[in-house]
Amino acid sequence: MSETVLETKGLTKYYGSTLAVDHLDLNIPRGSICGFVGRNAAGKTTAIKLMLGLLKPTTGSSTLLGCDSQQLRPAIRRRIGYVTEGHRLFRWMTITALEKFQRSFFPKQWDDRLFADMIEYFQLSKRQKIKHLSNGQRAQVSLALALAPNPELLIMDDPTLGLDAAIRRQFLQGMIELIMRQGRTILFSSHILGDVERVADRIVVIDKGVLRANCSLEQFRAAVKKVILTFKDFVPDEVNIAGLLHCRRTEKQLELILVGTSDDRIAACADTAGAEEYNIVKMNLEDQFIEYTAPKNHRRLFKWEEK
Amino acid sequence: MAIWIQISPGSNEPIYTQLTRQISEAIAKGRLSVGDKLPPVRKLAAELVINPNTVAHAYTVLEHAGLVNTKTGSGTFISNPKLRTTHAADINLLTQRMDTFITRALNLGIDAPDLIAMFKHRLEGFVNKSENEKKI
Repeated sequence: MSETVLETKGLTKYYGSTLAVDHLDLNIPRGSICGFVGRNAAGKTTAIKLMLGLLKPTTGSSTLLGCDSQQLRPAIRRRIGYVTEGHRLFRWMTITALEKFQRSFFPKQWDDRLFADMIEYFQLSKRQKIKHLSNGQRAQVSLALALAPNPELLIMDDPTLGLDAAIRRQFLQGMIELIMRQGRTILFSSHILGDVERVADRIVVIDKGVLRANCSLEQFRAAVKKVILTFKDFVPDEVNIAGLLHCRRTEKQLELILVGTSDDRIAACADTAGAEEYNIVKMNLEDQFIEYTAPKNHRRLFKWEEK
Repeated sequence: MAIWIQISPGSNEPIYTQLTRQISEAIAKGRLSVGDKLPPVRKLAAELVINPNTVAHAYTVLEHAGLVNTKTGSGTFISNPKLRTTHAADINLLTQRMDTFITRALNLGIDAPDLIAMFKHRLEGFVNKSENEKKI
């Protein structure tokens, strides 16, 4: 099960002098649902377009299902599904016309029954024109179009952006159903960490075009820790500990963000620094992500001064 | 057998521990008894809308803890407590946790008799339930 279905090597993209993706070395094993996360403008959409061969890299390369992204033959493309950001579909087409159009790219593998069932489940009519659908309904059509060809690799660019909780859940269900078919792989970008936590077993974190993490979600959850050291009188400016990402000082405390540091090490560090007590604070995935991608020496947004 | 599992993403607790904690508790409370079959991994994953690997991992953790055993091809079953081995390390951990708990309670100003009463009351929530359910 460790076969790689998506791989990038030194993948780099400049827009003019702006560096969007910086030497991305990524590999996604077959059979995983991979949550692709990063802040706005981190380079997620650019990276996805490069992977799909929709953009030319400045340097570096990427392969999908063992084929160079820049030279994907139709036979390979047929095994890959792609959902664009914002679910852009031809507005003038009816659902039927769109299905026919899309099906022509996936001969022999289009699941008519699945498509029809999903459209019915969503209470849509195949005669409706795309331009008369709401955002949520367009997203539902887009989900049905993505799942009907039963893709071996499904790449979705922020598919749940702006959708209500119920439609978001349908997307997640769709992903779970697809992944349970043998050998399917999904990469999806999202800003909703709760969704990523629910369905993904792998997380890829990108920040300012740079790959910051590519591991199992569980490893990430276990690795990023927050520790509060409390001191009696003297608070040192810094402490020396392996895996230190951020160190913030308040009146009597030091707040440390650590990556991959064992609890024993934390205890030893607290002892050496002369802390009165230390607490390992449990964080949820969202907090972990925010701390992990926070710029160095960032301060709190607000500072209320008491008058 | 019927248990209700509640998954909250966004919690401090990873999803697989949410699963193991709730299933362990259902076993301790007797809502799941020896020989009961856990839902198949794929079914539970689809129902809870979570990654099947997460469910599989939770089942493995439960199996390592000796709470369930997996028979290849037929499923995962609640194991017999008499056959579960208790390791010295587990007992050690348990006493450590009790110490933390007692320290906390005493520091909150709860005295020893109250603490014992509290403990008994909580324990009844487990023991009685398991006996009642067996009668049904």
